[in-house]
Amino acid sequence: MENTTYLAADAKFPYCRGCGHALVVRQLSRALEELALPPRSIVLTTDIGCVGLADSLFPYVHTVHTTHGRSTAMAIGMALAEAVLPAPGLKPIVMIGDGGAMIGLLHLVHAAQLNVDITVLLHNNFLFGMTGGQHSALTPLGWVTSTTPEGNRVPPLDLLALLRAAHAGFLARQFATDGDLNVLIADAIAYPGFSLVEILEICTGYGGLGNKSKGAALREVVDRQGYSIGRLEAERPRPTFAQLYRRDIESKTAPLLAKGGSRVVDAATHRSLPPPPAEEGSQSQGRAESHPDSSQGDSKFKIQDSKALHIVIAGTAGERVQSSAALLCRAALSSGLYTTQKNDNPVTQGSGFSLSEICLSPQPILYTGMEDPDVVIAVSQDGWNELKTNGTLAALTPATLLVLDSEIEIENPTGRVLSQPFRRDATPKRAALAAIAFWLGNEPVFPDKAWDSALASLPVERHADASEALRIGANLASQGGARAA
Amino acid sequence: MVAEGALAAGCRFFAGYPITPASEIYEVMMHELAGRGGMALSAPDEISSLCYCVGASLRGLKAMTATSGPGWALMIETVQYALMSETPVVIALVQRLGPSTGGATQGAQGDIFLAEFCTSGGYTFPVFAASDAAECYELTRQAFNWSERLRTPVVLLSDKEVGMTTEPVDEAALAKPANVERTWGDPGAPVAAYDIERVEDVPCFGSVGGGVKVTVTGSAHDRQGRLRKPSPEVVELLVHLQRKIEAHAADMALVRPDLDPDASCLLVSYGITARAARQAVRMLRNEGFPISFLQIQSLFPVPTEALHCAAAGVRTIFLAEENLTGQYRTVLAPLLNGKRLLGINKIGSMISPTEIVLAIRRAGGTIPRGDWPGEHPSEAEVREAPRPRKVGV
Repeated sequence: MENTTYLAADAKFPYCRGCGHALVVRQLSRALEELALPPRSIVLTTDIGCVGLADSLFPYVHTVHTTHGRSTAMAIGMALAEAVLPAPGLKPIVMIGDGGAMIGLLHLVHAAQLNVDITVLLHNNFLFGMTGGQHSALTPLGWVTSTTPEGNRVPPLDLLALLRAAHAGFLARQFATDGDLNVLIADAIAYPGFSLVEILEICTGYGGLGNKSKGAALREVVDRQGYSIGRLEAERPRPTFAQLYRRDIESKTAPLLAKGGSRVVDAATHRSLPPPPAEEGSQSQGRAESHPDSSQGDSKFKIQDSKALHIVIAGTAGERVQSSAALLCRAALSSGLYTTQKNDNPVTQGSGFSLSEICLSPQPILYTGMEDPDVVIAVSQDGWNELKTNGTLAALTPATLLVLDSEIEIENPTGRVLSQPFRRDATPKRAALAAIAFWLGNEPVFPDKAWDSALASLPVERHADASEALRIGANLASQGGARAA
Repeated sequence: MVAEGALAAGCRFFAGYPITPASEIYEVMMHELAGRGGMALSAPDEISSLCYCVGASLRGLKAMTATSGPGWALMIETVQYALMSETPVVIALVQRLGPSTGGATQGAQGDIFLAEFCTSGGYTFPVFAASDAAECYELTRQAFNWSERLRTPVVLLSDKEVGMTTEPVDEAALAKPANVERTWGDPGAPVAAYDIERVEDVPCFGSVGGGVKVTVTGSAHDRQGRLRKPSPEVVELLVHLQRKIEAHAADMALVRPDLDPDASCLLVSYGITARAARQAVRMLRNEGFPISFLQIQSLFPVPTEALHCAAAGVRTIFLAEENLTGQYRTVLAPLLNGKRLLGINKIGSMISPTEIVLAIRRAGGTIPRGDWPGEHPSEAEVREAPRPRKVGV
């Protein structure tokens, strides 16, 4: 019995006498029997409204009763899982009403776009029956309902037309009273992709109140709305999203986590950072508990005590400000320092200022903000203006080092100013990195060779460019051409 | 690192929708999950994201989505569904400044209430709060483990400052709790969908599409999963949703204490502010001021025992959090047996270690008032927690 019958033999329908839902439930059961699908290969997803009670009538198939309109969305999730499950083969059948269709409209549209292998049976009785006959988005013009006492003034949504625009492959419309509805439902279920059947019926509780809606009168309403009956012309069959996805992942390999050993992960970009060069010291595994000999205890490097160094780098969007800051962090990291980097830019991202806040510390960094910066690097007027706006300039102290492009107009800021023509000498896109190299040339923080592993993290085509920026900055520093304020 | 933790935890399904500051998780999952035999895809909104995850989880896949406050607001309907239907799912909630769309690129810790107290009926579900990249990894794994073990939604809370700050992580030093799988029912001995012996038990999981018929519902239901009006059986299952969490509260407790037996005050914090708090504690100790510190990682269920341990012997408790009204302080206030509880609160930017130190000094009277630096408009405010009121019976 479990393999042959879908509807419970002794099913007691919870519907009002004459309700179309009962007809649809019987026709669905007939369709499933004709298709001879194993009951456990079917899941009925339902939600709120009288139609949502249908799951209780099917004792052998899986049933998932959801929140209003979400039965489609949960069915999508279940169907998508097919792509990665070892034993796929589940067919979700979604039973919703016109109310559920509208509140879950986005899910229907996306299901059609994705072409997930689900079948939606849309029970359109033109109103909300369970809650007392309120009008819905599919109520015909002029219909009197409990919430449109003067007649509905809003034209109904042609859901099939909408879903056709969303590339649905199987769309059909039929009356619940049609004797061959089971055939259409079976065709929809057998269709390998998204299918939807809009089933027109009457709410016997509320649909007849004040409206001519029975039999031929219902057909009149449908004609007036220009709805065609039967299977509609739709897109040609195409692979489902799950099929496309499965095809893709079968060609993918290479797990990200390397087996054994440790690795340093860039927490924002999630990419592994290159290990520091072998000669950098004994702790080859990234974050170091002690410093490489090359930077510790050497009086030429600025970070020797436990104090962290806070740096702000500001410039113009699209001029590699944040990527140069990231390169600085990678270099610092490979020399055994702890780093944090935070970026900021206007919401549009591609215009205006671009800014990075960096902390370099020989100790693990707790607080990632900066109460006052040690070094401010600004390589464009956009960047400088933002530093004014965001309060950075107000936090400067006489000890703050300002490394500025010579083109920036400054008004006697607090701090030690070093001004150089980074934009002119290095080009605007290299200015940030050149300015960083210039600063480090004046106040070394880590050995120059730390840049090697940072550069190694760049795409090959950017090596020469970045090296050139570093060279220009270092040259400017070695020329001693700093214009101290 | 949330994504990395999810992948390590065995996450096989991710549906996401772009939102600052959670988009990085979405992007990493889109890049990485397929290569690990899972599915990641873009949903058309946050409601769909979580519904897709719940659908996939009902089929047996470990599932996660990531969002921020505005997206979380849309997900609350489905979080409740997951709770009621006992469907495991993890939501990474990367907070930003609210209310409404607030400030997309400003951090905040303003979603504590919204994260936990979003269910009709006020049910408890686990909320973990990470303060750095390493904790994002570790707590995401914990989130998956508890979600699977207890068949419940779990929220992994962070914020813009945790999620969008680049910092190195030593993979070898990360805690890697063993993965926990949900308890699957025996296909040879099918039982009711929500069959439990004791009220705090977690029912065995049967997947939709498996060999045993599964009946799932978000409505009040009996043990078979059938929608029913309240009966003793239905009410017992509603109580069970809360009891199964409470029964494991002690096991779920995750804290990082740094206690000083001589301390007369305790600083409590979580998430991003815990980092500044830890630094503030060092500053105060360097000045010779004894203070205890407790970072709470498992915000809910509240780790009451750890809290009482840390608070034993102190007179004053400070709670530093980046929100205006002291949301977690309000939660802890009734649990502290009348001890003085003061909030250190601010919005708009991170609370700094200095601000915490100043707030504690001011309240504790460790320095004369005249020595305080000038008042700054953004300075963290110290607020007295409302004392628990006595309610007549």
